[in-house]
Amino acid sequence: MHMLNELLSVPVAAGTLAVAGGGIAFICRKVGKVITSEKVALMGIMGAFVFAAQMVNIPLPGMPGTSGHMVGAVLLAIILGPHAAAIAITSVVMVQCLIFQDGGLLALGCNIINMGLVPCYLGYYVYKLISAGKSGSVRIYVAAMAACLVAIETGAILVPVEALLSGVLSVPFLTFLKTMVAVHLIIGLIEGVITVGVLGYLQQVRGDIFSFGAGGKIRMSKRKVMVTFLIFTVVIGAGLSLLASDKPDGLEWSYADRPDQMDFEPMVSNGDAKIEAVDKFQAEYSPMPDYSIRSSEEVSAAWTSFAGVVGAILTMGFIWGIARIIRSNDKKGFGN
Amino acid sequence: MHHAHIDKFAYQDSPIHRLDSRVKFIVVMVFTFLVISLPVDSFGILFCYAVWPFAILVIGRIPLKFAFKQVLIVSPFILFLALSYPFYERGLVRTEFGPWNFEISLGWVKCFTISGKFTVTVLALIALVSTTKFSNLLSGLGRLGFPKLLVMQLGFLYRYIFVLIDKAQHILMARSSRRMRSLGVKREVKVAASMAGSLLIRSIDSAEKINIAMQARGFSGTWKSVNEQKFRRGDLLFALVCGAFIMALHFIVRPFLI
Amino acid sequence: MSKAIEIRNYCYKYSDSTVALKDINLSVEHGERVVLIGANGAGKSTLLLAMGGFVKGEGEIIIDGVELKRKNLKKIRTVIGSCLENPDDQLFMPTLFDDIAFGPMNMGCDADEVKKRVEQALATVGLGSMGHKAGHHLSAGQKRAAALATILSMSPSVITLDEPDGSLDPRNRNNITALLKGLEQTLIIATCNMNFAAAIADRAVLIDDGCIAADGVAEEILYDRELMVGYGLEVPGGSG
Repeated sequence: MHMLNELLSVPVAAGTLAVAGGGIAFICRKVGKVITSEKVALMGIMGAFVFAAQMVNIPLPGMPGTSGHMVGAVLLAIILGPHAAAIAITSVVMVQCLIFQDGGLLALGCNIINMGLVPCYLGYYVYKLISAGKSGSVRIYVAAMAACLVAIETGAILVPVEALLSGVLSVPFLTFLKTMVAVHLIIGLIEGVITVGVLGYLQQVRGDIFSFGAGGKIRMSKRKVMVTFLIFTVVIGAGLSLLASDKPDGLEWSYADRPDQMDFEPMVSNGDAKIEAVDKFQAEYSPMPDYSIRSSEEVSAAWTSFAGVVGAILTMGFIWGIARIIRSNDKKGFGN
Repeated sequence: MHHAHIDKFAYQDSPIHRLDSRVKFIVVMVFTFLVISLPVDSFGILFCYAVWPFAILVIGRIPLKFAFKQVLIVSPFILFLALSYPFYERGLVRTEFGPWNFEISLGWVKCFTISGKFTVTVLALIALVSTTKFSNLLSGLGRLGFPKLLVMQLGFLYRYIFVLIDKAQHILMARSSRRMRSLGVKREVKVAASMAGSLLIRSIDSAEKINIAMQARGFSGTWKSVNEQKFRRGDLLFALVCGAFIMALHFIVRPFLI
Repeated sequence: MSKAIEIRNYCYKYSDSTVALKDINLSVEHGERVVLIGANGAGKSTLLLAMGGFVKGEGEIIIDGVELKRKNLKKIRTVIGSCLENPDDQLFMPTLFDDIAFGPMNMGCDADEVKKRVEQALATVGLGSMGHKAGHHLSAGQKRAAALATILSMSPSVITLDEPDGSLDPRNRNNITALLKGLEQTLIIATCNMNFAAAIADRAVLIDDGCIAADGVAEEILYDRELMVGYGLEVPGGSG
């Protein structure tokens, strides 16, 4: 599920972008040092494969008219190894945003974490843990299934959590969480079933493909992987908790009554410039200030806002008109 | 299959198209941040913000119909969420807007604002990508410090999604031309898995070929590129105008309207 | 002066020890246009891959005086250009310009030189104004020409092409034929289309089951009905 700009506050968006950007930059540096041209091509086309595989849909049982498809992160992680898969899926998420406008620009950080980094690494390690390196047995199917469920659910749970941190939700957090978990249980199951199916098919047709991934040159030593993973977890955890504490309760109630007035008088005012600045910042960027709409005594506000809307519409009309005139004078251009 | 329609407008020519992709990218990023930072009841001011993507689209000769259609296509999830607001926040508030004076539930105000924000930010994104060739955007991202490997990966993706989507469509056609009835869950899953699997194998085969093509042209692992874009006076002008517009909105208009 | 291509006693086995090429001996002069003909799976593509150094077998291959060895691979690839069967594999960059620039850039040319080479290659294949296009904006015929341009920009002395006429309509096939005939490089072309072979080649090499079954002047071999039909092929013209 794609995260959207509108569900995020500025600090959460910035924080997740930083975490995702840092993570990807780190992985790229690590992988870039050892990558061969063979891997470059494979990674590139695997991203495209994920796109195409998402078109292969299966009708959902018991729900006529609906169909599900795979997401592909865990499959890629199994075949390419988690690092290369993370880069591939990140690029998929970016292309979905930049070419198809799926998921917002600011939400890219969240989407990379929810749909790329977390599923690839978590899925891969769950898979490794359960399959324990034994191929060809029922065990790897169970492992793949579990990996898909865990990976997809974790990614899905992160969406309401990020929205909660942003404070933009009006749907109660638990309701949103439950809905996401329930929906993604189905999505995860489909993902698991198809992933297992694809793995089975591959073992029948091209058993050698399994040797690509985990082995190969991309892999760091096991200890390094664990350390990286640990650092990563800590960074994400620290980042998120920082963001959470970004809205200290003590400050907030002080201007609960007039959240969006730039010149409000904080009830708790200690004259400290730092606190004032924070207050001001909060007033401006606070994701969802405790809500109150202006009382009716501020008649002028109604008119300024009216003027703003009318002015904006007139401006757009003006731009459009000018462009029309210029274009009709300039027939040799690329008409449309 | 013909996929050129997806990004055909990026290949037009206009003053906006000629701008450095880095400038456009940064401006859109800043713009989106500011729109998102607007409080949740600020419906009116969104119109003022909308002027910017609107102007870019019009000057860039992107048909507005195309842009709005694109917004609609990506909107289901946000619409679903926005429409849930009125159910949870039913408290009525008095609202005045110009000559009108009415009561409306808080939920609806938020619903409109959030959909409005969505429309404005998606329009801004469309304004960016439909006036910028993806390859230029990529080289811009590369020079903004994005990891080389990721930029290279994005380039591959852009090149091969259309190739593989074609293959997927052929496989899908082959399935639907032979499937006369529903096969039951187990069978459907098996069919889908085989389709995805054969797609995967074909992808891996092409990866092997591409590797040969890359090596045939002397690729040794380091990615080199020719830098075609230059930061020109027009880019500076664009950055200044956009900056002035955004600043004016943020520091002058915004305090009035909110 | 050295020959363009000199292959002596070359053998190649797949990893499952199926023999793909047996005792190949071939020598090609500079400027010759050679077609490799033969049934599907006869070993034409493998032979082309072997010349480019992409599969490693036993025997000796010398391209333009450079012996094909691991340490020479880089040098080999500046003297021989390999054009793959599917142009989608050949064109892997976001735009045509990047694709054609890829080779020269890896050769270490500076930006101006790269630009000059790209423009030249584009002009040669008749895609002068298409440099900024992306792969999915090109037609099948344009992709073929573009794939050739990616090789031409490296100015190799030998070019191998695997079915450059594949899935092209007659007009596009004529275009590519004219294009190839206009090149001064040594060309090694694998094809199953005998009309195309007859239109382009000076010399034909018939490959069957990994061996060279016939080698000679194109007209003599291609129009030898008994020989051609015997190897599951056909003579040019007539039923096509």
